[in-house]
Amino acid sequence: MIHVRDLHLSIGDRPLLKGIDLQVERGSVWGIIGPPGGGKSLLVKTLCGLFTPDRGSIRIDGVEVCGLDEPALVPIRRKIGMLFQNNALFDFMKVWENVAFPLARLKPDLDEAALRERALMRLREVGLAGSEDKWPSELSGGMKKRVGIARATMTESPLVIYDEPTAGLDPVTTSKIYDLLEKIRQSTGATVLAISSDIQGLSTFVKNMMLVHDGQILFKGPLPALQECEDPLVHQFIRGLSEGPL
Amino acid sequence: MIGNLLARIGGAFLALAHEVGGVVHLLFKVLIALVPPRFDRDELWRNMYKMGVRSVPIIILTAFFTGGIMVIQSSVFVKKFGATSLVGWGAGYAVFREVGPILLGLMFSGRVGSNNTAELGTMVITEQIDGLRALAIDPVNYLIVPRVLAMIVMLFLLTILGDIVAIVGAALFGQLLADVSFAAFWTSFSQNLHIVDLTHGLVKAAVFGFIVSLTSCWFGISVRGGAVGVGRAVNNSVVAAALGIVLSDYIITYTLS
Ligand SMILES: Nc1ncnc2c1ncn2[C@@H]1O[C@H](COP(=O)(O)OP(=O)(O)O)[C@@H](O)[C@H]1O
Ligand SMILES: [Mg+2]
Repeated sequence: MIHVRDLHLSIGDRPLLKGIDLQVERGSVWGIIGPPGGGKSLLVKTLCGLFTPDRGSIRIDGVEVCGLDEPALVPIRRKIGMLFQNNALFDFMKVWENVAFPLARLKPDLDEAALRERALMRLREVGLAGSEDKWPSELSGGMKKRVGIARATMTESPLVIYDEPTAGLDPVTTSKIYDLLEKIRQSTGATVLAISSDIQGLSTFVKNMMLVHDGQILFKGPLPALQECEDPLVHQFIRGLSEGPL
Repeated sequence: MIGNLLARIGGAFLALAHEVGGVVHLLFKVLIALVPPRFDRDELWRNMYKMGVRSVPIIILTAFFTGGIMVIQSSVFVKKFGATSLVGWGAGYAVFREVGPILLGLMFSGRVGSNNTAELGTMVITEQIDGLRALAIDPVNYLIVPRVLAMIVMLFLLTILGDIVAIVGAALFGQLLADVSFAAFWTSFSQNLHIVDLTHGLVKAAVFGFIVSLTSCWFGISVRGGAVGVGRAVNNSVVAAALGIVLSDYIITYTLS
């Protein structure tokens, strides 16, 4: 589904992604971990064409993303549902309008009642029944995340990216959110990339892991292999040790 | 020392060139989105309401008292020289050609332009713009074009309204404070002013709306670096719009006279 080769990205004159190689099979579930500022968010944003890389190649379903202009990116972006790290809820829209928005864009012939109906169904699934007519600013952090998740999965796109779906949430909400992500994944069969700094929680949900640090992938592979990884930085990071290269 | 100074001048010049280049680039994108029209109608109406209709009270208030103040300021001379037959013409000429458009333009920039920059800037730092792009929506078509159109149309209409209210204010204050009757005011006004005095000012209003809209959108979408960045952008946007208004006022006055 995703093939990334030798991806380099710099902003200004700062190199931020330094040679990323990656292959994600259709239907697989990947966790992305790594120290803050390592380039995880940047990597997933580059995948949907929000940043233009210096060189390298990104192919999604065989289509080269790099070098496309905004109109040409439309069909690719329609395949991707994304939860942003800051949720990116549109604060000029009510909760249900936020959730319905991607669908309204995809299917312009749906009328408002049908859109609202579908949005309310999604909101019930993420446990937010009754919040549909609130504004995003009236919600707690966990509720905003869930609205973001509802919006990202609204069009049941084949690739879903969650950037920090549980950051800043308490353990109970966290495990509820992972249950929710798993439920949605099972019903849609989507390919999933999930960024998190909470390795334990993430491990309950994903089958594969990659560790991004300083614009490079230091480890990628099936979850059990992560524990055996010899790289000193990976070793330190996944065990949360204070001694080490980090 | 001198090298340092030159470096700073050069740096400031480059920064200015960067902003001007950004505004021009944005202008092209807006024009491309206009033919054929590919913008969001709902957004246009919403912005016209928010930017225009909601500005009506403050515009009425400012225009009314501005018209009045002009008469108060001139009443000393009017009384001294008995120049009551000039009040209607003087007030109308000044309001239509200069005071109306420039005052309302600056007012509009302070109320609507700054708000617009802050709103777009906040959308940048909270990833809402990225969110739109990830949903395959062009932020220029969806956010910028409706705002630019709304600001140009609304400042134009508000200037017409402001002109009328300012004249009414001038006539009222003239009656109350300078012993100029309504009839005398109206005679002076209608016999000496021409439609070109009005259109001269309305051309300015349209250009000012254009300047305020483009600068405020540009500084909004180019925000970098959190809440501090938004504050800085609002600041820069208001200053740039004021400079643009004064500069273009000079150019228009010069070329149209
Ligand atoms: N829009 C941007 N402009 C400039 N630098 C950025 C931008 N976004 C991210 N960066 C920089 O890129 C690096 C990686 O950021 P990010 O991908 O957000 O890290 P994380 O792994 O925590 O998600 C950071 O050093 C950050 O400062
Ligand atoms: Mg991040």
